[in-house]
Amino acid sequence: MACGNCGAVLDAADPEHQLIAQYEANRVAPGIPLGTRGTIGGQTYEVIGYLVRKVVKEPYTWSEYLLHNPIHGQRWLVEYHGHWTLTRLAPGVPKVKKKVARYEEVDYRHFQTAKAELVAVVGEFPWTPRIGEKAVVEDYIAPPRMLSVERSQQESTWSTAEHVEGAVVWKAFGLPGRPPTRIGVGAAQPSPYAGVGRPMFLLFSSFLALAVLVQLVFAVFSQQRLVADLNGEYRPGTSDAAQVISEPFALSGRTSNVMVEISTNAANSWVYFTLTLVNEDTGVAKTFGREVGLYSGRDSDGFWSEGANWDRAYLPSVVSGSYVLLVEPEGPHAMHWRVRLTRDVPRPLWLWLALGALLLPPAIFLWRRAAFENQRWSESDQASSDGDDD
Amino acid sequence: MVKAYVVFGGLVLAALTWTHYTGWGPSDVTEQKVKSVRNNPGSYRSAYGGRSYTGAK
Repeated sequence: MACGNCGAVLDAADPEHQLIAQYEANRVAPGIPLGTRGTIGGQTYEVIGYLVRKVVKEPYTWSEYLLHNPIHGQRWLVEYHGHWTLTRLAPGVPKVKKKVARYEEVDYRHFQTAKAELVAVVGEFPWTPRIGEKAVVEDYIAPPRMLSVERSQQESTWSTAEHVEGAVVWKAFGLPGRPPTRIGVGAAQPSPYAGVGRPMFLLFSSFLALAVLVQLVFAVFSQQRLVADLNGEYRPGTSDAAQVISEPFALSGRTSNVMVEISTNAANSWVYFTLTLVNEDTGVAKTFGREVGLYSGRDSDGFWSEGANWDRAYLPSVVSGSYVLLVEPEGPHAMHWRVRLTRDVPRPLWLWLALGALLLPPAIFLWRRAAFENQRWSESDQASSDGDDD
Repeated sequence: MVKAYVVFGGLVLAALTWTHYTGWGPSDVTEQKVKSVRNNPGSYRSAYGGRSYTGAK
């Protein structure tokens, strides 16, 4: 029994209540006062003891509350940086192999091993606690559960724990104010991303399949009809093919795009095309420019080439009607050119953009899940290891 | 998160369908009203006509 006021530790088994030790420098005030009763984990407990332990030669400190129920025995409520776990003795001994502890058909990954030291104590305990008492503690986790073993010179004690929200603890014991603010990610804190990975993957797969299906449907049912095919010889400084106008052609069907394909025999030269699609019914002219240029040669590194002597563009949302196409090439050298217009062509670019957009949320999800687990494992002995809770 | 993704994915698929159906797309097309080109081809000059292009190499 340790007194919170004077720091005295008495032997309750001794009728004389002999003073065993006095630790005035280690007096502490538990966040949950001794004697407080509360219902947690479906059972009513009374807080009868409180102790503070720290990792030897490290600044890591945590608190443990001893809870007592006359029928159900004892539990420990452990708090570290605002993260709480409810602990009880484990019946049976887990099997440990290659840093994995298997207990009740659940695999727990090794989280950390530390030498812990008792630094403060108050209340009643089933043993006589002594300041400076040391034990090696090993933690294994399978969030929201944790498995711990405490090894001293005399014995090894296994216990199982389950994560409890601080708000639940505060409500259970009817405590005023708010629980301590959480810092970082608790060892046994359940990931908000746990169990979401599979639905996200299934959704992405479904969306991917649907996007490809949409593309295929439009690839099959779109017109993709060649409506104009012009060609000419261009000679700079002359009127030869300086401006070519097509015969009228019809763009039919719903409002859709027109694909423009330009090909030339330009070599080590460029050509700029001014193209105008004129709707004869409305008099509206759509004018746009495209440039092609191909350069190649040989140097000390061998053959090189740059650019292309062809081009492809899409005119968006062209209404149906009777049209003519005006082609005006311009460039430094003579060359042969050809311009073809195809009505209603599904652009592959939209599929790629859609796939990119669909991939974004799963990518963000994976990144955030990894960041959460990295934060959890940064407190462990295996800080470089990445957790996977799915 | 999953519900938000369902909504987002649905919107992306709807946008994909809509762009394919309407042929929508960004463009730098200049639109203007002209007189009949067929009856008088020389009467129309494009919006780019008259300027001298000096791009490329």
